[in-house]
Amino acid sequence: MISRRSILRAGTGLAAATTLGAPTILHAQASTLKITTWGGKWGDIMKATVLPAFEKEFKCTVSADQAFPYVPKLQASSKNDPLYDVLQTNSNEQWNCFTEGLVMDKVSVKDVPNVADVYPYAVSDKIVGVTIFTSAIGLGYRTDKGITPPKSWKDLADPKLAGARGSYLIPVNSLGQCHLMMLGKVYGKGLQDLDAAYKALELLKPIKLVDFTGQMEKMLLSAEVNEGVIHDSGVYRYEGDNRQPVDFCSPTEGVVALEQVLSVTPGSKVKQLAYAYMDYMLRPDVQKLLAEAVWYSPANKKVKLAEKYDTKLLTTPEKVATLIQPDWKWYNARKEDIDGRVTKILKS
Amino acid sequence: MSTTPARLSPNRVPFDAGRAAYIGLNLVLLAFLLLPIAIVLVFAFNPMPYISFPPVGISLRWFDKFFSSSDFMNALWLSLWVAGCVLVLAVLIGGACALALARGNLPGRSFLTAFFMSPLMLPAILTGLALFQSYLLVGIGRPVWGLIMAHTLVAVPYVLRTTLAVLHNFDRRIEEAAAVLGASPTRVFFEVTLPLIRPGVFAGGVFAFIVSFDQFPVSLFLVVPKGETLPVVLFNYMKFDLDGAIAAASMVSILLAIAVVLVLERLIGLKAYVKL
Repeated sequence: MISRRSILRAGTGLAAATTLGAPTILHAQASTLKITTWGGKWGDIMKATVLPAFEKEFKCTVSADQAFPYVPKLQASSKNDPLYDVLQTNSNEQWNCFTEGLVMDKVSVKDVPNVADVYPYAVSDKIVGVTIFTSAIGLGYRTDKGITPPKSWKDLADPKLAGARGSYLIPVNSLGQCHLMMLGKVYGKGLQDLDAAYKALELLKPIKLVDFTGQMEKMLLSAEVNEGVIHDSGVYRYEGDNRQPVDFCSPTEGVVALEQVLSVTPGSKVKQLAYAYMDYMLRPDVQKLLAEAVWYSPANKKVKLAEKYDTKLLTTPEKVATLIQPDWKWYNARKEDIDGRVTKILKS
Repeated sequence: MSTTPARLSPNRVPFDAGRAAYIGLNLVLLAFLLLPIAIVLVFAFNPMPYISFPPVGISLRWFDKFFSSSDFMNALWLSLWVAGCVLVLAVLIGGACALALARGNLPGRSFLTAFFMSPLMLPAILTGLALFQSYLLVGIGRPVWGLIMAHTLVAVPYVLRTTLAVLHNFDRRIEEAAAVLGASPTRVFFEVTLPLIRPGVFAGGVFAFIVSFDQFPVSLFLVVPKGETLPVVLFNYMKFDLDGAIAAASMVSILLAIAVVLVLERLIGLKAYVKL
């Protein structure tokens, strides 16, 4: 016979077992997790839905910094008491931080169980931390200006596009840096063939250069450029009621990965919570929500997107195979020389 | 070029090439100053999500987006609050420093003047970074009052300079006359000195307010999540959504600056301000 006393005893035992079995949650109770995250629509969804749900589940507070620049702020803070517990940024900056000892290299399945379900590119040797989403860098173009839709990266050099093609200020923008490496691959021996890339850059002049991808989007929308280097999400999001005469091309030579990466700082006082956040961001439901909101390709293989997203984003092993991941460690080591050289080329 | 007076009608003003050049130059300068504002205005009222000319219509959608965004509104109020505090602090500190430097017969006066003006000579981004590191080093984090102190640091030189300019031409015999007539030093200060240096102090206050309200490089390192000033929010917004909300925010900033000047004009009179 089940008495009130036995129920209470069983309940107490269950509560104790649950508590002992979940030290992470206990640890998280009075904690604040300091992270960086993007702004724009991504930031709106994070603040409205994703982060409050995380806070509720893990009984913690998340302090999400959306104000650039993250890396100099992290560099300026103490390594033992870093400004952030989790750094979200692109892969090139992650490598810089790793080289300086500001973030840790890899995450294990033990710490972040959902890592077991990600595509190989998300944890490849080109990645510090773990990739949660990626975009594909290719060519965006106007569909109403009578230009032939591009198929190859070489099409950007079409003389008809003189003055109406766009890319980025290579020293400050990672898409510009990816474009330069792709020029090495397409016109030379590979991503690291800088001489071929420099020569190819000459072919692209005159070219309009911008700092941010947001500016490139607006230049395409206003037809200030008819074709330009851009990530797929910067074009795909103009659909439905927001439809604009622009489209995206994944060049035959491949698209470059623009990864959104999370890494943990070695001095973080709430590492378990940081790993819990990484794991949470890789959950299929969270991935689906964000992917469909901002047109990012989810890193988790198990995510099932709605058809209109599924057809365009990198959601199958075959499509993921077209992704090219640059070696940012290699690039960052020669960045100063590259910056000087490309500035000289594009100024003349 | 010379003209014979006989050929001129009595009412006709002879052509003055120098005056024409002067007016022309002024018009060019005015256009240079106002054209960016005109472009912002066009962008703010244009319904298109990008800069297009000529505008395709008139819309308030970007103003609506700006005023209905909690991020923008929180940032706007924080910027106004910080700028208001900076105005008061900069006027108090800058005014007191100016009086001490002009009247105090302090040793090393030139050095002290250069010291107080030095925040203007250092790139503001370095000031922000240095303060950020200092705050973290002493373990205070990045509180709002830390941001206010940082803005005050870069705003004080403006008040100092404008107040010193007024004090330079100040006739001290007026104060002496008041003292001879029996006024206490406190009364002399509040009833004689302060009204006379008021244009310089207020002009510096206007500068302090605007410098703080528009401050970006110093704020960049000192703002915290959910506590970002308007220029920082606009900068980050531009990285992801470069639409007319930026122009609407700029128009609001410009109108606020004009409002501050008008309020001060009501308080102290624009003539006194301009005379400086």
